[in-house]
Amino acid sequence: MSAPSSPREMASAPLVLRYRDVIKRFGALQVLNGVSLDVHAGEVVCLIGPSGSGKSTLLRCTNGLETLDGGSIDFEGTTLPRDERGLRAMRARMGMVFQSFELFPHLTALANVAEGPRTVLRVAPEAADQRAAALLAKVGLAEKAGGYPSALSGGQQQRVAIARALAMEPDVMLFDEPTSALDPETIGEVLGVMKALADEGMTMVVVTHEMTFARRVADWVAVFDAGRIVEEGPPGQIFDAPVTERTRDFLSHLGWSG
Amino acid sequence: MKFDWSVIWQYRDALAAGTATTFLLTIATMAIALPCGIVVAALRLYGIAPVRAVATAYVELFRNLPLILVVFWAFYVVPILIGVGLSPLATGLAALALNVTAYNAETFRAGINSIRRGQMEAAVALGMSRAQALRRVVLPQAGRRILPVLASTWVSLFKDTSLVSVIAVSELAYTAMQIRAQTFRVLEMLTAMAMIYWVLGYPQAKLVDWIQRRYAVTE
Amino acid sequence: MEFDLSVITDHWRFLGSGILVTLALACLSGLTSVAVGLVLALVRMYGPSWLRPLIAFYVDSMRAIPVLVVLVWTFFALPIVAGITLPPFWAALLGLTLHLAAYAAEIVRAGVESVRRGQTRAALALGMSRAQILRRIVMPQAIVRMLPAFGSLLSVTIKDTAIASVIAVPELMRQSETVAGQSFEPIEVYTFAMLVYFLILFPVTRGVDRVYRRIAHLGRS
Repeated sequence: MSAPSSPREMASAPLVLRYRDVIKRFGALQVLNGVSLDVHAGEVVCLIGPSGSGKSTLLRCTNGLETLDGGSIDFEGTTLPRDERGLRAMRARMGMVFQSFELFPHLTALANVAEGPRTVLRVAPEAADQRAAALLAKVGLAEKAGGYPSALSGGQQQRVAIARALAMEPDVMLFDEPTSALDPETIGEVLGVMKALADEGMTMVVVTHEMTFARRVADWVAVFDAGRIVEEGPPGQIFDAPVTERTRDFLSHLGWSG
Repeated sequence: MKFDWSVIWQYRDALAAGTATTFLLTIATMAIALPCGIVVAALRLYGIAPVRAVATAYVELFRNLPLILVVFWAFYVVPILIGVGLSPLATGLAALALNVTAYNAETFRAGINSIRRGQMEAAVALGMSRAQALRRVVLPQAGRRILPVLASTWVSLFKDTSLVSVIAVSELAYTAMQIRAQTFRVLEMLTAMAMIYWVLGYPQAKLVDWIQRRYAVTE
Repeated sequence: MEFDLSVITDHWRFLGSGILVTLALACLSGLTSVAVGLVLALVRMYGPSWLRPLIAFYVDSMRAIPVLVVLVWTFFALPIVAGITLPPFWAALLGLTLHLAAYAAEIVRAGVESVRRGQTRAALALGMSRAQILRRIVMPQAIVRMLPAFGSLLSVTIKDTAIASVIAVPELMRQSETVAGQSFEPIEVYTFAMLVYFLILFPVTRGVDRVYRRIAHLGRS
């Protein structure tokens, strides 16, 4: 269970996601051990913790890429269904950004961003392309619209991936270690886009190792260890005055000095 | 129409001999084509320009010809080239060996090339000769990639031995078709021929699958 | 050794018709085996599970039996079993299709399975259905990745047409045998045949290489 937490800024905003005692096993391995967490509208929630502590798994359970073994996840008041059809409808309202970008290599950047609206939302091709062009401009890649992923740098690919997720006009954006596979020089451009998104009021759940980003942009931080949340609170508490031993160990291990 | 399947049992000795010849051809061809393939690959990779060109021409030629034609061509040309007539078996073996050597050379070359150049450079920097570096550093690593392909080539070769039947070599296909001609038991003999190849070839194919799984390379 | 080219020029029409039959048989069996192989692979991956072992058995069996055996059986034994006699060209087409479709099925299956799982996850995350993902995301990439293997299969197909000579299909190999037998000049005739086959096969492999190099990035995720 999490340690006593400080008052929550956005607690009055409507609940977008509610995780209740989520349990997930991979064979004999217990990856999520009863995780409970709330995400309010407009909040940026960062999940931090050692590798293998279950953060990414929780994210993948959120949009049904993994099925739960126990507990429940509510999205905008409705429990996540188990059937493909129902999951698909919910996935369309969540945006996910992957560590490995996963752009579609056979489509141009523009076509990548337009793919979701075209195929899932049945938006007309011209309208989808227009929306895509606007989003590419928003992430600073207007001139790369006609390029293929193979011609883009890692940071550029990830920004296109963010635009692709945004094109679906989601109610929440899920980021799974978005900068872990990037060269140090390009991390900044991606974090910049994410910060701008946060400033606009997008609800975001971010699994990250970028502590400076979490300290500055997050509204709420949850610290994971061995499939449980050991501490959660505002970034000020977590990073400057952590309550639990585990959190202190983790941060000092990362060389975090505030 | 009456079918007489007992003809298969009657001629079991001939069929067994044919099968043995098939195996003999396969083993003998590989015994020649493995070392020759390595030599040709080495010539292509490390030889001086004219040698490289000849080796490449050889490989490209035999990879782009139907084997059955090479068998025929060998049957008619080889006696004239070397002045003495070879038995059909030897001719068939020569054609198969020429063909498989080319494929093996390509397999070895691609396998060796797939090992990063830095490995060779590091070995040479230690003072090894090219040959030593090849033997002790590159080939062992390339081996993992080469083995599955060689296994696959083996199975193809086993099937390709059936083609030397066209110059009357008494391997399995020729033997079966001869029996068919003598006994007029067309369906029985042709089906038996297919069945025997199946019984021999299916386990080999499965073995190749296992080898490919076991030695799969993940980068 | 003297080379008497007149035997080639004297019979150029006869040999030329052989080349046409070779090309026709190769193209037709190439198309049919890819079509059948594609269907088999899709059924094996996405169809009813009781069909899977049957298809796997068929594919593995064709890896075990030589093309020559399949062709001979199709031409000589099938009429006895099925009552229909196919003329040599069509028997060869059937036999080649039977044999090559197994390889085509394997190529398709391997191509689809080689597409990164992450691509499917990303498409699912957008809310796409499985059918949409297969059609719009996985197959386009898989097709690019399959190209080298299919190029190789085309090369094999062309070479296998020469084996059809054994069941009297009048393709180049057979015509060459006839001319060589009549003229007693096998060296010239078979050398000519080798030249023709090489000139057909070499550009095919080179061409496939070239095309693949240009579009490989479309399949690399």
